[in-house]
Amino acid sequence: MKLPYKKYPTVAGGVDLRAICPVYIALTARGAVRSKKIEAVIDSGASNCIFHAQIGEAVGFDIKAGRQEETYGVDGKSSAIYFHDILIYMPGGQITIDGAFSYDMPVPAILGMRGFFDNFKVTFDPTGQLCEVERIYQA
Amino acid sequence: MLLLIDPRVEALRNAPLNSWIALSEDESTVIASGATYEEVVRESERVGSVDPIILKTPREWSPISL
Repeated sequence: MKLPYKKYPTVAGGVDLRAICPVYIALTARGAVRSKKIEAVIDSGASNCIFHAQIGEAVGFDIKAGRQEETYGVDGKSSAIYFHDILIYMPGGQITIDGAFSYDMPVPAILGMRGFFDNFKVTFDPTGQLCEVERIYQA
Repeated sequence: MLLLIDPRVEALRNAPLNSWIALSEDESTVIASGATYEEVVRESERVGSVDPIILKTPREWSPISL
């Protein structure tokens, strides 16, 4: 699937481009309610896929019952994240991952190495201003 | 120099900062905003949007490093 870069304003009056995948998330239980469509930043610098805890709570996750770990941002600050099995719906299909929730997110979601980059081949195309994402299956 | 106005960028530029917002399906209009994800979901449903896209606005539109 081809995902055109999304445009965001900058304080200087310009435009910032980000690689974004539109996703819905849900519990893995059959018939579970899906979230609304959220913008997830494709971020190869992130170790995990992390979603804002408010979204998880809205679709029924008991966030703090998950496995707790600490994560560090580029500013060096740590914050608690809580892992759960998360069903992600995205263009091209769905996938269940061991992903995390955080109450301390500046964006709705980030898609990182574990859960996203180990399941998809991702090509960034600056000339086409898009990101191409292809599902891979590893033995 | 010709400046093309992008409706999505303009909608985001005019959206409340440090908030959750819902964009219309064509991403040209902010249809709901609020302090929480659930508030924005409720409001977008109230205005009849079937499949909005939800995002968070920053305190200011600076480039992000996650």
